[in-house]
Amino acid sequence: MTLEKRLTRRKFLGVSTGAAAGAVAAGAIIGGIAGYFAGQSTAPTREVTRTVTTTVAGPAQTVTKTVEKPVTEKVKAGYVYVGPVGDFGWTYAHDQGRKWADARQANVESTYIESVPEAEAAGAIETLLAEGYELIITTSFGYMDATAEMAEKNPEKYFVHISGYRSGAAGNAPENMSAAFAEFYQLYYLNGLAAGAVTKTGVVGYVAAHPIPEVIRHINAFVLGANYAYKKRTGKNIKAYVNWLFSWFDPGKTRTAAVSLIEEKNADVLAFTEDSPTTLQVAEEYTTQKGKQVWSFSHYSDMTQYGPNSHLTGQIVNWGPLYLEFYRMVATGTWQSVDIWTRIGDYLPWRWRLPVEKSTAGKPEGTVYLAPLNPAIPSEWQLEIKRRYEEMKELLFEPFSPEGNLDQPIRDQAGEVRIGPGERADHDMLWTMDWFVEYIESELPKV
Amino acid sequence: MADVAWIESVLSGAVQAGTVYLLASLGEVYAERSGILNLGLEGMMILGVAVSFIFTNALGHGAALLVTMLVGGLIALILAFMAVSLRLNQIVVGLALTLFGLGLSGFITSAEIRKGILLSLNPNLSEAALVTQQAPKLPNIAIPVLSDIPLIGEPLFNQNILVYLSYILAIVMWFVLFRTRFGLSLRSVGENPAMADAMGVNVYLMRYIATVIGGMLGALAGAYLFIGYQPFWQEGMTQGRGFISLALVILATWSPLRAILGAYLFGGVEVLQFRLQLLGVGAQTPQFLLMLPYLVTIATLTLLSFEGVKKRIGVPAALATPYSRE
Repeated sequence: MTLEKRLTRRKFLGVSTGAAAGAVAAGAIIGGIAGYFAGQSTAPTREVTRTVTTTVAGPAQTVTKTVEKPVTEKVKAGYVYVGPVGDFGWTYAHDQGRKWADARQANVESTYIESVPEAEAAGAIETLLAEGYELIITTSFGYMDATAEMAEKNPEKYFVHISGYRSGAAGNAPENMSAAFAEFYQLYYLNGLAAGAVTKTGVVGYVAAHPIPEVIRHINAFVLGANYAYKKRTGKNIKAYVNWLFSWFDPGKTRTAAVSLIEEKNADVLAFTEDSPTTLQVAEEYTTQKGKQVWSFSHYSDMTQYGPNSHLTGQIVNWGPLYLEFYRMVATGTWQSVDIWTRIGDYLPWRWRLPVEKSTAGKPEGTVYLAPLNPAIPSEWQLEIKRRYEEMKELLFEPFSPEGNLDQPIRDQAGEVRIGPGERADHDMLWTMDWFVEYIESELPKV
Repeated sequence: MADVAWIESVLSGAVQAGTVYLLASLGEVYAERSGILNLGLEGMMILGVAVSFIFTNALGHGAALLVTMLVGGLIALILAFMAVSLRLNQIVVGLALTLFGLGLSGFITSAEIRKGILLSLNPNLSEAALVTQQAPKLPNIAIPVLSDIPLIGEPLFNQNILVYLSYILAIVMWFVLFRTRFGLSLRSVGENPAMADAMGVNVYLMRYIATVIGGMLGALAGAYLFIGYQPFWQEGMTQGRGFISLALVILATWSPLRAILGAYLFGGVEVLQFRLQLLGVGAQTPQFLLMLPYLVTIATLTLLSFEGVKKRIGVPAALATPYSRE
C-alpha cells in the first residue's frame, strides 16, 4: 500500500497592498467614514488540495483509486487591529504574526481591518462576519467586551481575544471565545540583568505607557533583574525611576521622558513600554553625540538599527504560533476554548533547557524571545542571562521569587514582604500586580 | 535642584518641544487674522512629517524642507478654494482635510509606495534606506558668543536651524502684521471684509495668501517635529499637536510675538511633567500638569468673551465667516 501526496496550488488571488492603501487615502478624502472598509487589505488566498492515491493490491489485479479532497476545512480568519499595520510596534507585530501563520497553514484566507477605535470594535467584527470570516481575532484589550458580546450572538463562529481575561475556559465568556497573550516579564528580567551588568551610575530608568498590571510587572521584573546584577557586582542596591507617558505611543513625549531620566536622575540604562524605538534613539544620541554611554533595548521587534551603539538586548514577540494554533483548531474541527499565556519555552520545537554554551538566547524561537545580546555585556553576565533563559524554558526559574532577588524576599515600597521564602508569583499575582518593588524610587500613580 | 544646569536643561527642552507649536501657530495666526480658521492644521502637520521623512532620506534636509512647505501650501490651497471661493463651512472642510492628511500620510509612507517614491527620487538608495523609519536629525549649531550667555545662551542659541528660523519668522511676521500696509490689509480682511473690500483690498487674494502661509508653516512644523526633534516615522505621530497649536493661537491672542511665549509655555509643560514626576512632585497625579495649558487657554477664551478686552486685543471679528460681495 502506497500513499502519495501531491500539493497543487489551485488559486492564487492577490489584491495588491497598493490598491488597498489607495483606498485608504480615498476613504479619508470622503471623510473617514469609509476608512473602515477601505483599510481592509485582502491577503493572498490559497486553496491547497491533496491528491490521495491509494493503491490496493488484490489477488488478481491492482485497483488504483484517486480521491481528491481538501486536507482540512478552509479557514477564513479576520483580524481587528487597534493601530495601523505600519506602526512598527504592537499592530505591526500582530500583522507579522498573521503572515507567519498564513504561510504555515494550508487553505487559509485572512484579512484585517486596521486602526479600529475601541468603541467601534463590534461594527468591525460584524463587517468581517458578514464577509464570511469565521475566526475573528481581536488584538486590543479594549475590544474584550465587544468580542465576548459578538461571540454570544454568533455561537457557530470562533473568537480569539488578545491581551484580555475573558474566555470560555475562564468561565466568563461563551465557549467559542478564547483568550491569548504573549508575556514578556521574564524577558524584562533578563534585560534587567543586562542593565545591572553594564550600568556605571547604578541608576536605571523606565519610560512607561500606562500604570496597568501588565506594565507594572514588566517594570518590577526589569528592576529586580537590574538589582540582582548590580548588587552582585557592587554590593549596592540599584536605583530605579519611572516616567509615565499615559499614552501607548507618542515619540515626541517619549523623547522628553527619556531625556528627563538621563538628565534628572543620571540613568544610563533605559527600558521602556512604548510603541516606538524613540527611547533607544535618545540613548544613541547621548552615546554618539553627547559623550555619555546610555543603553536601551528592543521592544516587539529587533530595533538594533535605531541604536547600534546603545542596544543591549530586548524583548521580541512572534504572535504567529498562537494564531497558527487557532487556525488548526478551526481547520480540524477541534475547537476548544483556551486561555493561553505564552512565556519563554512555549511553542518551541525542543522545549528542554540547553547547556549554556549552546543556549539559543538572542535567537528567534517560540512566541517570545530575547533580542541579540550586545557583546558589551560582560561575558559572565552573558552566561548568567543565557543560564536563566534556558532555565525558564522549563520554568525552573521564576523571576518573582526570592531566587530572582539574591535569595531575599521580594518587598514592596512600603517594606511589606510580597513574595516570601519558598514562594513564587502565580498567575493571579502577576495578572493583578499593583505595587512596586522596593528598589523603585518613583511613586506609583493612583488610577 | 534648581541650579543653573538644571534650568538650562529644562529651558532647552521647552524650546525644543515648543518649536513645533510655535511654527504651526505662527502660520495659523496669519490665517485667522484674515478670517480663515484652519482646522486642517493637524493634517498638514502630519503630511509635513511624512513628506520630510521621505525627502530627507531621498534627497537630504534642504530638499525635504522645501518640498514639505510646498506640499503644505498646496493642501492649504484646497482649503482656501473651498472656504474662500466656494464659501463652504470652514470647520467641516478643515476637519475633512485633517482626515485627508492623516490618510494620505499613511498612504505615501506605506512600505511599497514609500519604496517606489524613494527609488524614483534617488535610484541609488541602499536597501536599508528604503525600509528604515528614521532619518538623520538636523545638527545643532551653537552660535558663538550668544550661546555662552549664562542661563539662556545654551537653551536659545544652541539649537538647530529650524529653531532659529522660528525666532526670525516670529519677529518678521509680527512686524509685517502690525507695521506694514500689507499687515493692515490682512487684519482688515479678518475684521470687516466688506469694509476692506470697499477700501480696495482684494479680500479673496489676502485670504488665499494667509491660508497658504498657514499651510506652509503647519507642514514645516511637522518637518521640525520629525527631522528637528524626534526622527521616527509612525502613522499619526503628531498626536494632536496641530490642534494644540490652534489652542495656542487663542492663548497668544493672535500675535506672533505672544505665540513665542505661549509655545514655550506649552513646551515647558511637556518637559516639566516628566521632570516633576521624577522629583516626586504630584507623582500620584502626573496628569494634573498636563491640563494646565488648556486651563490657561480656557481662561483666555473666557477673558476674550468680554467686549472691551476683545476690542483691545483685536480678535478677528470675521473669523470663520465666508465673505461674499453680494
